[in-house]
Amino acid sequence: MREKLTNPEHVRTWPGSIPVEYVYTAGVAGEAYLRAIKERGRLAASACLGCGTKYLPPRLYCERCFEKTGEPRDVEARGTVETFTVAHRDLEGRQLEPPVVYAFVRIDGTAGGLVHRLGEVDPGDVHIGLEVEAVFLPPAQRTGSILDIAHFRPVRHRPAAT
Amino acid sequence: MAKVAVVGAGMTKFVRRAQETGRELSWQAAKMALDSAGLTLKDVDAVVIGSAPDAFDGVHMKGEYLADGSGAWRKPCIRNFVGGATGVFAPIQGWYHIASGQFDTVLVVCEEKMSSCHPHPQGAFITIFDHTTERPLGPNLLWIFALEMNRYMTVHGITKEEIALVAVKNKKNALDHPCAQLGEELTVEDVLNSEVLAWPVNRLDVSPASDGAAAVVMCAEHVAKRVSDKPVWVEGVGWHLDTAYWTNRDLYYPRYVEYAARMAYEMAGIKEPRKEIHIVEPYDPFDYKELHHLEGLLLCERGGAARLTADGVTQRDGDLPVCPSGGLLGVGNPIAAAGLMKVCELFWQLRGEAGKRQVPGTPRRGLAQAWGDLMQVGTVIILGR
Repeated sequence: MREKLTNPEHVRTWPGSIPVEYVYTAGVAGEAYLRAIKERGRLAASACLGCGTKYLPPRLYCERCFEKTGEPRDVEARGTVETFTVAHRDLEGRQLEPPVVYAFVRIDGTAGGLVHRLGEVDPGDVHIGLEVEAVFLPPAQRTGSILDIAHFRPVRHRPAAT
Repeated sequence: MAKVAVVGAGMTKFVRRAQETGRELSWQAAKMALDSAGLTLKDVDAVVIGSAPDAFDGVHMKGEYLADGSGAWRKPCIRNFVGGATGVFAPIQGWYHIASGQFDTVLVVCEEKMSSCHPHPQGAFITIFDHTTERPLGPNLLWIFALEMNRYMTVHGITKEEIALVAVKNKKNALDHPCAQLGEELTVEDVLNSEVLAWPVNRLDVSPASDGAAAVVMCAEHVAKRVSDKPVWVEGVGWHLDTAYWTNRDLYYPRYVEYAARMAYEMAGIKEPRKEIHIVEPYDPFDYKELHHLEGLLLCERGGAARLTADGVTQRDGDLPVCPSGGLLGVGNPIAAAGLMKVCELFWQLRGEAGKRQVPGTPRRGLAQAWGDLMQVGTVIILGR
């Protein structure tokens, strides 16, 4: 019935909203992760003290064996594109020009990784298995967020010296 | 039905703002519960998660969000939510997971992180009111409790002074709880002189908003006898829902609590609750609610709970200790975790492990109760040794 109404006042309606905002703590492990990004331009991972599973982002505990993890340690912000998409519309349904490549990047030597944007690459050249590295904002612009990583870009292998 | 025992319990400190994420809080409580039972995640067959509205943590599908910290990696897992009654419903759900014969060992974890919600979790509560008949008035959750408290006081001729004694008792009891947020030595005058929020409710009549988690390990009889010298048995469970139209009930009496209690008493074979229950943890988010719920639990006549309190019967060393933990008023109120905290307290009290909070004598049987939604859900669990 509602779909056929041209004037919503024909049935009584109330406008409403849920008037709350949120402030999320990053948590114990999340704090270490964001500090590594902001202060050192690195990613951080934590390894389970029981089974050795290496979590990135770091976690306080191991979900597999429930043991505590060790102190988060920095790792190279490099990895491999495990899957990707090319987004043509934003959250509001507006056209993205140019389209944005989002990839899940498995970080080398860890059991984890992160979703992020790819940049400095033509969408047509992105493929699963592409080796990529994080490009961090200049230190002064970092706020302690995953957006301190501007994007990941393909690793440029130097030609072998002849 | 298979017999079900509680063999381990754990909880985090209850605080106004935790740095830990909800997942991290859940893990701390769950790990403590498993360690206390001498078990590991490998011993757990299934997980039950209890958590109140997603709007508190600000995470939709909070059950999935909390699953890894609750030990549910690659295990059967369910999350339940019956408002404030969740914390006692979660172990009931753990009980029927096992009583059905489907699982031998279940980890039950309850969590709430209310500090994420700004400016205050009250903002998330507004949408529990009907969008047409009540929300246009801009209701605040405190008002509805004020309406109930006033009705309760007036029907029975109970004074604010008599009710304030509950806040004084529980906050004092909480001084002995290592996880408590608001343990304090107060006087009745302190409560009466605290800020009026919605008359007759003053600030010290109310529990705080909190972050925290609690957990218990439950298992079938054959496992309990193997892993525990002192299993605490689930003797009765009950839950009940009254009409969602709170305008169609008389607020002075919580009938939904009575029906939940009757279900649990019948299962436990209890004929005279006042004589057969030795320790009680009723839900006390407001001081008058402890009295209201004691009456609904048939532990005294209607209108009689204030007298019990004034006579000292409900003190930790009284004849019927009520909220020896310190309750929500003193330990804190991370909604679902607060209800399960009460079950943890029974576990520790019945095993003689409650430290400075230990009630004298040897309580054999205890009852925990929670209530929720728009004052319409009652959940009750009876544990005994």
